[in-house]
Amino acid sequence: MKHNLTTAEKIHGSIGISAPAIAVVIALGISGLLDPYLAYVASLWVIYGLLGMSLDLVWGRGGVLSLGQTAFYGLGGYFGSVVAINFSDLTGNSLIWALPTGAVCGALSAAVIGYLIFYARTGPLQTTILTYTFTILLWTLSQSFKITIGEAKIGGDNGMANIPGMILAFGKDAAALEPNAMFATVVVISAVIYFAVRMLMSGPFGRVIDCIRIDGEKTELLGYDIRKYQLQNFMIAGAIAGIAGALFAAWSNYLNPSIFSVQEALMVPIYVLVGGAGTLSGAFIGSVLIGGLSFWLGGGAISGQTTLILGLVLIVLVVFLKNGILGALNSLWLRFLPDRNRAVNSIKPVTIDASVVENILADAEIAAGPPKSLETKNATKAFGGVIPVNNVSLKFEPGLPHSVIGPNGAGKSSFLKVCVGMYPPDSGDVLLGGENVSHSPIFQCVAKGLGVKNQKPQVFGELSIFENLWTAAFSMTRDKNKANQIANQILTMLGMHEQGNVEASALSHGQQQWLDIGMVLCLTPRTILFDEPAAGMTNEETRELSHLVRILAKKTTVLVVEHDMEFVRTLEGMVTVLHQGAFFAKGDIVKLRADDRVLDIYLGRRAHVQSI
Amino acid sequence: MDYFATVLISSLSSASILLIATLGLAVVFGLMGVINLAHGEFIMMGAYSALTATQLGIPFILAIPVAVLVTMIFGALVEIIIIRRLYGRLFDTMLATWGLSLALYQGAVLIFGSVSPGIGMPQINFNVGDYTLAAYPIFMILVAVVMLAGIYVLLTRTVYGMKARAAIQVPDMARAIGIDSARTNTLTFAIGCGLAGFAGAILLPIVPATPSMGFAFVIKAFLTVVIAGPVTLAGSALAAIGVGTGASIVASFMTSVAGDLFFFILTVVLLRLYPLGVSAKWRMKL
Amino acid sequence: MRTILSGVCALALTASLSMGTAVAGTKIGAIFDLTGGLNIYGIQQNNALQLAVEEINANGGVLGEPIEVISYDAQSELSKYTQFANTAILRDKITALFAGLTSSSREAIRPIVRKANIPYFYSSLYEGGACDKVTFVTGSSASQQMSKLIEWGVSTYGPKIYIMAPDYNFGTISAHWVHEYATRNGGEVVGEDFLPLTVSDYAPTLQKIQAAKPDFVVALPVGANQTGFLEQFAAAGLKDRIGIVSTNYGSGNQQVVVSPQAGKGIIASAGYFMEVANDQNAEFVKKWQAKYGTDTPIVSGAVDVWNAVHLWALAVNKANSSETEAVINALESGLTFDAPNGKVSLDSKSHHLNQNIYIAEGNEDHGFDILVTFTDVPAVFEADKCNLVKDPGLAEHFTPES
Repeated sequence: MKHNLTTAEKIHGSIGISAPAIAVVIALGISGLLDPYLAYVASLWVIYGLLGMSLDLVWGRGGVLSLGQTAFYGLGGYFGSVVAINFSDLTGNSLIWALPTGAVCGALSAAVIGYLIFYARTGPLQTTILTYTFTILLWTLSQSFKITIGEAKIGGDNGMANIPGMILAFGKDAAALEPNAMFATVVVISAVIYFAVRMLMSGPFGRVIDCIRIDGEKTELLGYDIRKYQLQNFMIAGAIAGIAGALFAAWSNYLNPSIFSVQEALMVPIYVLVGGAGTLSGAFIGSVLIGGLSFWLGGGAISGQTTLILGLVLIVLVVFLKNGILGALNSLWLRFLPDRNRAVNSIKPVTIDASVVENILADAEIAAGPPKSLETKNATKAFGGVIPVNNVSLKFEPGLPHSVIGPNGAGKSSFLKVCVGMYPPDSGDVLLGGENVSHSPIFQCVAKGLGVKNQKPQVFGELSIFENLWTAAFSMTRDKNKANQIANQILTMLGMHEQGNVEASALSHGQQQWLDIGMVLCLTPRTILFDEPAAGMTNEETRELSHLVRILAKKTTVLVVEHDMEFVRTLEGMVTVLHQGAFFAKGDIVKLRADDRVLDIYLGRRAHVQSI
Repeated sequence: MDYFATVLISSLSSASILLIATLGLAVVFGLMGVINLAHGEFIMMGAYSALTATQLGIPFILAIPVAVLVTMIFGALVEIIIIRRLYGRLFDTMLATWGLSLALYQGAVLIFGSVSPGIGMPQINFNVGDYTLAAYPIFMILVAVVMLAGIYVLLTRTVYGMKARAAIQVPDMARAIGIDSARTNTLTFAIGCGLAGFAGAILLPIVPATPSMGFAFVIKAFLTVVIAGPVTLAGSALAAIGVGTGASIVASFMTSVAGDLFFFILTVVLLRLYPLGVSAKWRMKL
Repeated sequence: MRTILSGVCALALTASLSMGTAVAGTKIGAIFDLTGGLNIYGIQQNNALQLAVEEINANGGVLGEPIEVISYDAQSELSKYTQFANTAILRDKITALFAGLTSSSREAIRPIVRKANIPYFYSSLYEGGACDKVTFVTGSSASQQMSKLIEWGVSTYGPKIYIMAPDYNFGTISAHWVHEYATRNGGEVVGEDFLPLTVSDYAPTLQKIQAAKPDFVVALPVGANQTGFLEQFAAAGLKDRIGIVSTNYGSGNQQVVVSPQAGKGIIASAGYFMEVANDQNAEFVKKWQAKYGTDTPIVSGAVDVWNAVHLWALAVNKANSSETEAVINALESGLTFDAPNGKVSLDSKSHHLNQNIYIAEGNEDHGFDILVTFTDVPAVFEADKCNLVKDPGLAEHFTPES
């Protein structure tokens, strides 16, 4: 693919690195000049920004609003401080105790909650509430929780005092940092974490997290264990929140259960929202603005009306700044850049070149092994009284394309979902290449060589065409370069090599179908399932698709669920008819067309149906 | 034995109070998919409206409709000015309504001061063995039942109810047959707020009006609605009675803090078992 | 992007905030909750401070100059106390700090004032035990109040006591003192319940009280929550059989909220009631109502702040300096002050006040009738544990062994 980026576009692309870098340099530059009180107060805003960034990871990027970040923050603060109180005398330096403990503690508690949420697949609102409940549970418990651990005394609502400040130097006489140095330290720590997270999130891990946010099901159909990714992301965010908590404890020298309060928990999403969700750096802007505003109001600017004004400001920000400050700036900037999707109009119709596809298939066979058969044995799936898949035993092998047809309600789509693992069968088995995958989750079936294209095109609209293909290819190869190579091959085959940088959402319906098919091919599948692939395609596109399917079937098992009889006819393969969830007839299309019983069920004639 | 009977009766009344405080939130969430974090402040507004009305000489029984009317009008305004702009942005709505709750709280302090005289409870009580129970909280069981029935009738037997349900179940179709979903939503939100106002007013004798009174209700009301899941009305009733009664019984035999902890832990367990709420697989719609 | 803005903000703030600090005179800092859930108390505390400073300034100020107040709104948020305490010290260069309502706010402030070595006045009733060279407490402590209240309760109602207390330090430590003084006075605790902070439904508690059959209940729910309990208690008809005493009823003007039928007969003990009859109080109430109106009765926390400011001013004038060491020495020299709540004297060892403890009964007009006055009651526990004259390095928060 080609990148013909203008300088302006390049600057825009790297702004997430360059602007924060400049900001850090400026902050460090002025840290010595600031009035100490301001350095002190501003340190807290940066710490809140770090806490906000931890939420942005799970919310702005991961798509899950967690109100548990302050719980991880508080736990990180408490445990980090307990360790720092007891051990910082040994080294002088307090941060080497508090920060790692805070991080580990935050990550572990996030792991417990994350496991509950992601492995139970709770809904989005339920997830928010679960995390929120966790936070108020801690708040309730900690009010009267008293314990003494070594030198550290946790005294319920009276909290834990005597937490050492930020001490960087080593040795017995090391003193806590003065406000200006503390500000610089907090900025440096936050900057290191920010750039590390940014690096992680612009790599494959971040790409997968983005995909999960956009379309979790599709990400799973690409063979990613989304629960694992979400859990890992949640743990990273928990660790960052824990570090922020340890910094907060060192900043205030004091901790108390109010850190787990509802008010604290709700402030965090506000920082993210004001700055701009998904930007990572936005949380810092939000925390500085909101923190600064409430500090300024509380200092007597408008005496006694702080919460009233804060509440109204919040409403205005939410209503009028949909994507936060950075989001608004970004859309403003984009207006002055050339349209990134301008190349979309020059996409040529897809023409399948047999030799290209065969080369791809040959490469795939080297990488992923021989094609696998797909077999169901007495598979049954029922929903209440309806039995959409009733005792179906079928076997599909490479060579010729297989089609499954049947009138509406025959159970075609349900059958397909049973094969993929989306509906685990109530009884009976699904075998992939002889291996029983009946109860394997989707991503495992995909990893074992199953490729699925659903009826509606499923592409990640916010990502570019190339990124869509690359994400699919990376799932199998787990190698950036190989993924690049495969994605480029498919991109060229789709005739979109000039448009790799175009957002997938800019494509037409038919083009999105092709991109989706391309993504499935990137998986180097050994068995491919197509659910009504020709839906919404033009005649030319349908013809090319048919051509592609026939070539694919030579080297892989291909199963097409379709009710477009004309398309099925062009495939020249084996056809299975389902009726009312059960096997009805099998043969080539010519034979079936001559079969009265098949015509009867298609035309709704009753006589023959009742006679079977 | 007497103790157990009183515990059971009063736990049921506790659960009913929770349900009364929750229903407005449930209606708004069920019909609009909006979580109103200012719900507690609407309860507070209802309480203050009823209180002000009684101070002006209106009998308490007539002060209740006044409170409902005031909160409904304010709710409609909030819907038109804020909520309408945020459709489909669940979490943005939550944060905006939280801002609203901050502003309303401070507004109440400005208007009413931090303390205002309460109206007290009817001094009627009855005995179960050695134990005495106040009648008014027990009366709340009846109020909760009537409220549930009223909402059910409103949603199934009135033109508005059909439109509201149509607008949520098949929004495209509803629009196609000319249902003005914006107006229906304004009304739904106003009704939700009116229910909160009703709760504040009817509970005024039990929980005197203070600017911060909403906070005590809203956490549990919120959890109840989410445990309930998509079938909000029946689900909320079940969740409030199940979890609320359970927590109250635990509080009666252990400490009140233990009752709260039981509530929260049960919430976590239920959401683990029913990731989309207890009613996720029910066939009914209300 | 992030810290560019913080930089810009920082500069803007420095510019805007440094304008109001030009006036000479002795500066004191005030941090109270003017907004948010705790402002029932915070507004009155702040009002009392302003009134006290006005009066002192009208009489010539301290060291011949007017006192200047730098006031902050902590917004009922703990981290704001930390921020503003540091701002007041680092930027405003205050010479004394008056701040805080909750014990946690005091604990958040103490390390800061200790490090900066600035006298700090905490003016609220609390569970007791704070002991620190720079910290002075003008409210009454749990042991100070309970020592009299339980004695009175046992002799008035009978020996059997039920405790209902919020589940945090104030509640658990108060409960400890109830046990302690019950034993000393021949009483017995027959049951106790610990309440979450956001409780509104007291049905389970009411049953447990009935099951335990106490002679009286020590009711300590916090703030507005208390009123719900009293209404439900009265409506269940229990008030005729069982007495209610409290150390914090009235501290947030709960007697205004509670209906007359529920509020009549409730026993409260406190260091101050607006109904206290003496000349100082009459004058204080007159000044207060002239400035702030008659809508809301004055709470004890306000008088605690009033006393704190006056004691500090007395100390500064006595020491003829606002330097910390001199002021603390003067404060430890056995200062007394004729306060609205009677004569108070500062105990040099514990930095707590010996003051009157009043026991009052709620009447039908949302007010109190004072029944008994115990004069010059010491802060029992603190006087026992804390000797800052002998051991000036102490920085502790004592809790009774339970």
